[in-house]
Amino acid sequence: MSAAAAAHEASKDMLAMVHENLNVWGFPHEAVNFGLGPMNLKTLVMTWIVMALVILFTVAATRSMQLKRPGKLQLMVEEMYSFLKGLAYENLDPKKGASLMCLLFSLFIFLLFCNLWGLIPTMMSPTADVNTTLGMAIGVFITVQILGLYYRKLSYFKHFVEPFVFFLPLVIIEELSKPLTLAFRLYGNIYAGEVLIAVLLGLIPLTITIFGGFIASVVWLSFSIFVGFIQAFIFTMLTIAYIGQVTAEHH
Amino acid sequence: MGAVVQALGLNNTLVAQIFNFIVLLIFLRIVVYPHIVRILEERQNYIEKNVTAAEEERKQAESLRQQYLAEMQKAKDEARDIIQKATKAGEEQAREIIEAAKAEANRVKESALQDINREKEKAVAELRDHVATLSILVASKVVSEKITADIQRSMIDEFIKEAGDLPC
Repeated sequence: MSAAAAAHEASKDMLAMVHENLNVWGFPHEAVNFGLGPMNLKTLVMTWIVMALVILFTVAATRSMQLKRPGKLQLMVEEMYSFLKGLAYENLDPKKGASLMCLLFSLFIFLLFCNLWGLIPTMMSPTADVNTTLGMAIGVFITVQILGLYYRKLSYFKHFVEPFVFFLPLVIIEELSKPLTLAFRLYGNIYAGEVLIAVLLGLIPLTITIFGGFIASVVWLSFSIFVGFIQAFIFTMLTIAYIGQVTAEHH
Repeated sequence: MGAVVQALGLNNTLVAQIFNFIVLLIFLRIVVYPHIVRILEERQNYIEKNVTAAEEERKQAESLRQQYLAEMQKAKDEARDIIQKATKAGEEQAREIIEAAKAEANRVKESALQDINREKEKAVAELRDHVATLSILVASKVVSEKITADIQRSMIDEFIKEAGDLPC
């Protein structure tokens, strides 16, 4: 019992030490107050970096677009866009889908860059902070409600009491669980990925053998790339699905 | 509620992140998004144009092919006609040549026969003259003064007449 506790304590110490060592930029661990309330400085800075990267990437890709011989970046952005367009047009009707494409594209590319940014040593995914993911999920939730009201007008409220009035609490819980699952799915995946990256980094000095830390770390990093894509895709896909649910016209 | 917020570490970062995302969204909407939509539309139009052009060209090629086939068929027909005509003309000519040759042969034969007859008659007349002269000589030698010259002549003519009726 005491041994397990000691081991637990030691692992916690090790993780804290790794985090301490990785914090080469000297971000404060606690939330900082700039006069707008407490904020996580590291998350904010990382978000700004990611925003800058997204802007850099997309602007570079669309700066000199070619019709007949697209460049590599242009092709990447175009493929991403076409892929999301395909998803959106399948689940929404094309008119609604076209009006939402900009939101979906921005959402996907932002989340993708957020997820991948944490794989760079000493950097952190903005999505590994529950504030970011919950913020995005709430934003999506509000968007979904507004779109539902916009497309279905007052008949939108009818789905709260269908098929019976006493389903109202269940429907409300269902509606509220959507942004929560959206937020915590993304947060959990990315944060776990980051923790495991830190743990594997911490293992390297302990077991300097190739198979102990290094290979595992590389394998996990490559898997995290995959997870980053998948989670960004799932978030976007679920957004499309939720919008599709509330804007579908019942006859 | 407060405890939950505390436990999750929620704070104003949440609002700031929504704000950040909206800023990014607006930026992408204004700067990046129109280019992507434009280029995709242009590409779609380009492909559609190409497809229709290809379709058009295919149709044209098809009509050209039909035209060429028809022309080739016509040329073949004409060639056959010409060959037929030539064959007929050749046959005609051959027949004419043969007929002309036959006519020529007949003519040659006729003229040869006529020549033969003429020669024969000539020979017969000559022979008759000779015979008459000889007879007169013989008769004059044998009969001398007993028969007058007139009687002698009539007798000889009679004789010759009889001799002329003989087949020769």
